Amino acid sequence: MPLVTRNIEPRHLCRQTLPSVRSELECVTNITLANVIRQLGSLSKYAEDIFGELFTQANTFASRVSSLAERVDRLQVKVTQLDPKEEEVSLQGINTRKAFRSSTIQDQKLFDRNSLPVPVLETYNTCDTPPPLNNLTPYRDDGKEALKFYTDPSYFFDLWKEKMLQDTKDIMKEKRKHRKEKKDNPNRGNVNPRKIKTRKEEWEKMKMGQEFVESKEKLGPSGYPPTLVYQNGSIGCVENVDASSYPPPPQSDSASSPSPSFSEDNLPPPPAEFSGYTLNNKRMDQEQCPSHPPPAPPLGSPPGPKPGFAPPPAPPPPPPPMIGIPSPPPPVGFVSPGTPPPPSPPSFPPHPDFAAPPPPPPPPATDYPTLPPPPLSQPTGGAPPPPPPPPPPGPPPPPFTGADGQPAVPPLLSDTTKPKSSLPAVSDARSDLLSAIRQGFQLRRVEEQREQEKRDVVGNDVATILSRRIAVEYSDSEDDSSEFDEDDWSD
Amino acid sequence: MAGQEDLDWANWEYIEIITSNIKKITDFLNSFDMSRSRFATLREKLTALEQRIEYTEAWVTKGEMLT
Repeated sequence: MPLVTRNIEPRHLCRQTLPSVRSELECVTNITLANVIRQLGSLSKYAEDIFGELFTQANTFASRVSSLAERVDRLQVKVTQLDPKEEEVSLQGINTRKAFRSSTIQDQKLFDRNSLPVPVLETYNTCDTPPPLNNLTPYRDDGKEALKFYTDPSYFFDLWKEKMLQDTKDIMKEKRKHRKEKKDNPNRGNVNPRKIKTRKEEWEKMKMGQEFVESKEKLGPSGYPPTLVYQNGSIGCVENVDASSYPPPPQSDSASSPSPSFSEDNLPPPPAEFSGYTLNNKRMDQEQCPSHPPPAPPLGSPPGPKPGFAPPPAPPPPPPPMIGIPSPPPPVGFVSPGTPPPPSPPSFPPHPDFAAPPPPPPPPATDYPTLPPPPLSQPTGGAPPPPPPPPPPGPPPPPFTGADGQPAVPPLLSDTTKPKSSLPAVSDARSDLLSAIRQGFQLRRVEEQREQEKRDVVGNDVATILSRRIAVEYSDSEDDSSEFDEDDWSD
Repeated sequence: MAGQEDLDWANWEYIEIITSNIKKITDFLNSFDMSRSRFATLREKLTALEQRIEYTEAWVTKGEMLT
């Protein structure tokens, strides 16, 4: 059923309560006739509107046609003036001439508020306006409009824009990586032979049996965990190794129970027998995996098998810090059932708010006091508690993918003090790290402002953003194909 | 009493004629509005023509530049 554009106003002619009159029939007739006149009035108003629209369309059409007719006339004159004998055609001329490009103007913002027809706009205006929440905007700390938490018409566009810009950045990063790998091309030849060697060694060792494989690991002099080399043949990237792929250690009971819950973690909690390795090894592992999300390395905190943190580490720390955060991230579904309503004035549980990406980075900031990086507590590294597995990407994984470079720090500094007070014993050891992190975050905030300014200056429409992304993608694919050719040549 | 009812029926018939004519007018206006689709097809043709003219102009002016 089509949407009603124009509604003729007195919908029913005689459905009215009659006043108490003697002659009811005449009364009804008169009322009906009066309503008929009102209907004619609204009809004439809509007729004027219709003809006005048609008139404007016909006018634009006529102007276009007249300009086109002028161009045709001019062309006609030019063509008659052309003389085939005078023309010089040279091969060089064909190549040096600029190719013809027609002006491809893409229509944008077709279904905008401005293009809404007037009668529909009038119907729309009869609705209630949203509550004047923007009066609360001056009282906000993060500088966002308060009404946007209640109703944000630009939410989806902003979301899409962020995604597109993030994709372009990722593509640029990949391009840079490819360029670096191109530079390291002479070293590439060594990678393949290394793989083959390790596999043979691995199979030879497996011949003897699993127990002997373990003994060779224990004897390993370097701090590098050799199992990583054996079990999947690749060197350096710890994330390929599953917790299950580790050789079953004798004291794995305490380690294996939390390990399934952290299957999402990039590095699985190492079995207890790896206690011999210092935390420096863990740092090495983290550095060797450049594909880790950027926030992961800074979060040196492990929820793993650690004494002193008896409750399951990953889920509980995020919920308590979330209380202090002004806006809960409803898109991050796992948090919403657990978080109490936020203290800030705007109410937005049913509405997804685009502020979701900035608030979730607060949890990692608040995680620092709650989840102490063991390096500070274990300088010697010989302690029984195993070196911490890498940060819990589990708790804030979705927001992190979009919010790598946008931590909103000022509102968090107050929040960090709350969890800090809850764990006084641990904070002393990590105050230096905290201050360093705070400084780091502050730096990032300035960068974020600059980025935002840049974005505001550059075109804010779908066409420009899409065209930029596609351009980057195509140039990236060209680079890939050229790389592939180079590999062929090297073979 | 019967006279009044007859009058009433006459009035209703009168109102009925008026309202049916109003409905005819609205139908006419609706069909007028729907004819905007013809405008759309015309605009498409116009854009196609404009593109062709652009191309021809580029062709012809290049020829002129040579001379």
